Amino acid sequence: MEALILELKKEIIEVLNLEEIKPEDIDENAPLFGEGLGLDSIDALELIVLMEKNYGIKLNNASEGRDIFKSVRVMAEYIEKNRTK
Amino acid sequence: MNIYIQAAAQISAQEPMGNAWFQRPLRFTERYVRSIDPNFKEYINPMEARRMGKILKRALATSLEVVRKTGIDHPDAIITGTGLGCIENTEKFLTAMVRDGEMYLQPTYFMQSTHNTISSQIALHLKCNKYNTTYAQRGISFESSLLDAYMQFELGKIKSALVAGHDEMTPDYFVLLDKINYWKKGEVNEAVLRKSDSLGSFAGEASSCFMLENKKTDLTICELKGVDLFFNPSPLRMKEAIEELLSKHNLHINDIDVVLTGINGDKDNDVVYHQFQQHFFPETPMAWYKHLFGESFTATGLATYIAATAIQKQILPVDYLYNRTSTLNGLKKILIYNHFQNKDHALILLSSC
Repeated sequence: MEALILELKKEIIEVLNLEEIKPEDIDENAPLFGEGLGLDSIDALELIVLMEKNYGIKLNNASEGRDIFKSVRVMAEYIEKNRTK
Repeated sequence: MNIYIQAAAQISAQEPMGNAWFQRPLRFTERYVRSIDPNFKEYINPMEARRMGKILKRALATSLEVVRKTGIDHPDAIITGTGLGCIENTEKFLTAMVRDGEMYLQPTYFMQSTHNTISSQIALHLKCNKYNTTYAQRGISFESSLLDAYMQFELGKIKSALVAGHDEMTPDYFVLLDKINYWKKGEVNEAVLRKSDSLGSFAGEASSCFMLENKKTDLTICELKGVDLFFNPSPLRMKEAIEELLSKHNLHINDIDVVLTGINGDKDNDVVYHQFQQHFFPETPMAWYKHLFGESFTATGLATYIAATAIQKQILPVDYLYNRTSTLNGLKKILIYNHFQNKDHALILLSSC
């Protein structure tokens, strides 16, 4: 799980162009949206694309994202259970 | 109706966001020169900047610079000219589309790959919901923007306008244009460009931004007297247009201190400027600037910046003079003439005030 969390942090930094942020700067338990990293709705779309492209997880219901993207750890747990690649 | 340039900013191959380069411009020998970027963190929050390509950062930084200088943070119009738009993000979007078999399309690159992203981004940042338009008219994109603002000032619809011209040149687009002889094949320098005996110029990038207002203030750089655009004009039509433009302001050919042209070293391009001078301004000094900035679809924005700076400083260094060997002083009226492929022709008249 810890390896997946680190991998996910690196992918989030790359796909969201968080140039000034390093993986260790991201608290895996902190909220991704609002507080914490302060991501917005466009970032949510990028994360949906990331999940499908890198892990084969297709979110059919956009509202699912609200729970899945709570934090990096929650995301990683969801990926661990549902990944197809 | 008088229209004044209150502030100007540029990012180009010369030093950005200042005028120190004006009297000692850098010279180049490469075929492809990219702009020198300022420290964008001084202008844009990194979290906001993270999604932006170079052209958007440049557009926002130059806009914020003229807003800072004038205090006009909600201009009545935001008008941008761009030949290629956000071509860097367009390439990223299309490359990913091809690589991933048209799957997993990234929304950020898609949103920021359109031409009108630039004006929109400026408006979003300034929270300015007034008139907002983009002109993508290839080599006369900047002039089209300026003409829009000019006409709206004349109609009394606006009192202030942020007018800009932005274009980036990506390595891939440079290669594409190279295949159709847009760029010279060997080493490029001033002597080669001055000869104008072969096809092609050298590639550059241009970001320029101006705040226009209908009142003269302590900040005023110069007055925008007129803007005209023509498609395929005959020599007679061009003569009439020049006479109309000048007579509207009680001016004569001899009142023009210098004609700033888009001579760029391409023989097909430059012959049009030489004919223009011989026919209409045989006694007037001719200037050029693309040998110091490179060719770009919105290079005329840089010409406007140079002309405005020359009028403000009352000097045009010899570096910009095509057929003179001594600096011009005491400049009051500069006519900028640009053509694109000898089809679209544009005149911009700037004056001291």
